Amino acid sequence: MIDAFKFWMSKHSLKFKLNVSILTFVCIAFLSLALFISNYSAPILKSQLDDNAQKSVEAYVADFAHLTVLTERIILNTKNTLSQMSEDNVNAIRMLLNSAIETVIHTDLDFTNAWLYIFNPEDVSSGDLYISTDYKNNIIDFEIEHIDNLYNRFPWFKEVPKKENIYWSEPYLDTKTNKTVFTCLIPFKFINQKDFNGLLALTIDLTDIQESINNFSFYETGKLLLLSKTGLYVTYPDPDVALKLTIFELAKKLNQPKLNLIGQDLLAGRGGQVIIPNVPVFNNSAAVFFYAPIKNLGWSFCLVYAQHEFLKPIRQFQIIIAVALLVSVLLLMLIINIIFHHSTKQLLMLSRIAAQYGRGNFEQKFKFIPNSYDIGILAKALSNMRTNLLNYLDRERKAASEKQKSQSELDIAKHIQKSALSTTYPENEAFKIATTMIPAKQVGGDFYDFFFIDKNKFAIVIADVSGKGIPAALYMMKAITLIKNMSRSKRSLDFIFKSVNEQLCEGNDTCMFVTAFMAIIDLRNGSTSYVSAGHNPPLLGNKDGYKFMIPPKNIVLGINEKATFTKGKINLSSGDHLFLYTDGVTEAQNSSSKFYGEKRLLKILNKAHDNPQDNINMVLNDTRKFVKNCPQSDDITMLDFIFLGRKQNLLQTTADIAKLEKVLIWIKDDMNKHNISDKAQFNMITAAEEIFSNIASYAYPEKENAFIKIQTELRNSTYSITFKDKGKKYNPLNNKSPDIKAKIQDRKIGGLGIFIAKKVTDIMTYTHKDGYNILKIGIDINK
Amino acid sequence: MDNESEGLKIKQIRDGNTLTCKLTGWLDPNTSPDLISKIDLNGITLLVFDMKDIEYVFSSGIRAFLILQKMLAPVNGSVKLINVSDNIRSIFEYTGLESMIDF
Repeated sequence: MIDAFKFWMSKHSLKFKLNVSILTFVCIAFLSLALFISNYSAPILKSQLDDNAQKSVEAYVADFAHLTVLTERIILNTKNTLSQMSEDNVNAIRMLLNSAIETVIHTDLDFTNAWLYIFNPEDVSSGDLYISTDYKNNIIDFEIEHIDNLYNRFPWFKEVPKKENIYWSEPYLDTKTNKTVFTCLIPFKFINQKDFNGLLALTIDLTDIQESINNFSFYETGKLLLLSKTGLYVTYPDPDVALKLTIFELAKKLNQPKLNLIGQDLLAGRGGQVIIPNVPVFNNSAAVFFYAPIKNLGWSFCLVYAQHEFLKPIRQFQIIIAVALLVSVLLLMLIINIIFHHSTKQLLMLSRIAAQYGRGNFEQKFKFIPNSYDIGILAKALSNMRTNLLNYLDRERKAASEKQKSQSELDIAKHIQKSALSTTYPENEAFKIATTMIPAKQVGGDFYDFFFIDKNKFAIVIADVSGKGIPAALYMMKAITLIKNMSRSKRSLDFIFKSVNEQLCEGNDTCMFVTAFMAIIDLRNGSTSYVSAGHNPPLLGNKDGYKFMIPPKNIVLGINEKATFTKGKINLSSGDHLFLYTDGVTEAQNSSSKFYGEKRLLKILNKAHDNPQDNINMVLNDTRKFVKNCPQSDDITMLDFIFLGRKQNLLQTTADIAKLEKVLIWIKDDMNKHNISDKAQFNMITAAEEIFSNIASYAYPEKENAFIKIQTELRNSTYSITFKDKGKKYNPLNNKSPDIKAKIQDRKIGGLGIFIAKKVTDIMTYTHKDGYNILKIGIDINK
Repeated sequence: MDNESEGLKIKQIRDGNTLTCKLTGWLDPNTSPDLISKIDLNGITLLVFDMKDIEYVFSSGIRAFLILQKMLAPVNGSVKLINVSDNIRSIFEYTGLESMIDF
């Protein structure tokens, strides 16, 4: 449900949603109002209707009662007058009747006539009738008529009453005037008479009353009915019923037994209200019968109306509400759409402008929106945003150009610094080297360097300039240049550092200083001199593991121009490492402000590899593991150097004695490269000559494919030469030594060569492998 | 093979029965036979080799000296070496021939 609503909310435009929701709520409000009013007003209207019905009926009853009472009074007065008269005085009778009519004329009643009937004492049905007739307020006639049978003339007579009571006839059609009339009569006595002499009557025209009643309307359906004391309809909308049927007869005819109840009430002189459902006259809907008796007559008025009559006003009200609703809704929609059109136009304009701002186009300004609410606020905010953004962009641009300027300066410095750092590791069999320098800022104060001083001597340098940034970098440049330049002098390290120190002290007003360690390794034999100017002690790694070196103490460079420096000396064996670093490694801090420390460095290095690059990566990873996410506080610089020693030098030549001199010169050159002493060289050359000559002379008797492979090697201070040939298998070590004690004259000429070779070398071995005679001679170069 | 120029040079000075040969260059299997072929021992009883400019002496050289010694034996002649370097002297010592060297 909620999801459906959300979906709906997201799917349509704001305008549509607003229209639909406002219209929905307006309709609900109107309908609730209408329903409430209907429900609330229905009983009121119903009781009001009933009230009106009662009042109308009562008014008619009162009117009719008043008229009949008036008639009764007139007729009583006339009778009283008549009782003072004698029956012979016809004139007096005429005057009396005329006066009675005249009296009536001044009332609201319409009399058709007034008459006096004097019946025979023997037979009341015959007698003389004296009639005064009124035609439109003029008494135009007075007739005397003899009547043989009163019941023929007045068929409504059943019998002539002989009581001193007023008698009201049923309504009947007056044959003379053709009007519906009814008659009020009273028996009378002339003066001094004991028995009744006749009847005095006033006939009242019911036509006007009928018309009045027929014209009476009660709301839309209400009809007023007048019923006589027998239940005869005096008035009825249907002329077939009026004056022809009683209520009982109609009940039977219409099969409405409830009408009988009403009839009984009427006959009993009771009033009341009866509701009869399914009345055909009212389209088979329920009808309300409201009736009240006219007591003096025994007649009744009955008001009949459709029960739904009271709903009419509600219907009308509902129609009015519906129309009002429709009109309001249409107006509301119109207004909403006008407002929306206006607002969305502005909003669209704002969004277009905002989109332009988003693309960086700030040219378009706002049209003035004179509304300090809603869109006006948004417009103002956007306008402010534009101003602020422009200001911000302006500032940013300036800042960026400033930054770019200083950045490019930094970049240049960084470039210079980087170009000062050697990055290409020399390919050399005697050693391997790897370095890293990770600046904490872009331009750091650390540096390393490595370079050949000559073809046998290799220098490694690591240094840390106090401070950071451009000043440190510049000072570093100076230091690195001085060290390199001074190294070209081929002077000893203590002299180099002394000179560098003197020059670094010059003009060093800011008292910057450099801690540095430098070593020069003789690649021929691993003899190494080094000097440390206040730098962290490097680690020396050999087959027994790593340990910190303890170099002679010297002051840092750049502080004391008169300082002297003491160098140290070690011999590197093949496989030994020199691991140089700056305090950025050991003083790398983690989040608990703890230092990485020398112990940890030592521990990790003892898991070391032969390959310097692997070592550096290993230490770097370990420091990173240690500091975790802490920002790097200092430059991290490392240099790892492994000394391998010059290893092998190979020469292949034909096994020809003519090649002897070239072979010996090649061996001599090789030994020179390794800085072999003269005596050792002499011995090795002597031995090599004997062996080569021996092989060239005897190994290949056929002289075909005669070759010798000569391989030299300096390893762990032993210089060795290996001779390999594929000649006939021959182990010269099996030769018997010559008798060196014999007199010269007795000496044998041969057999001296191998003997001499054995004598002059420290090592001499023979193996035969893969068809090769392998003879190896070696000498300890440190002996 | 031309050993005169780059191999071994022999400068002979005859003084009565004494022949002094100044050697320069290599004294190896290629050049050592020259000592025998290029020196005329006729009337010589003392053959002196000036070794000042000889760096190495190999067994082939020693053999040559021994052969010359044997050739002079019939006339009671002898071979002497002078201006011998320490290195070469050690070779003669190793081989028990130091008596050949005249100090």
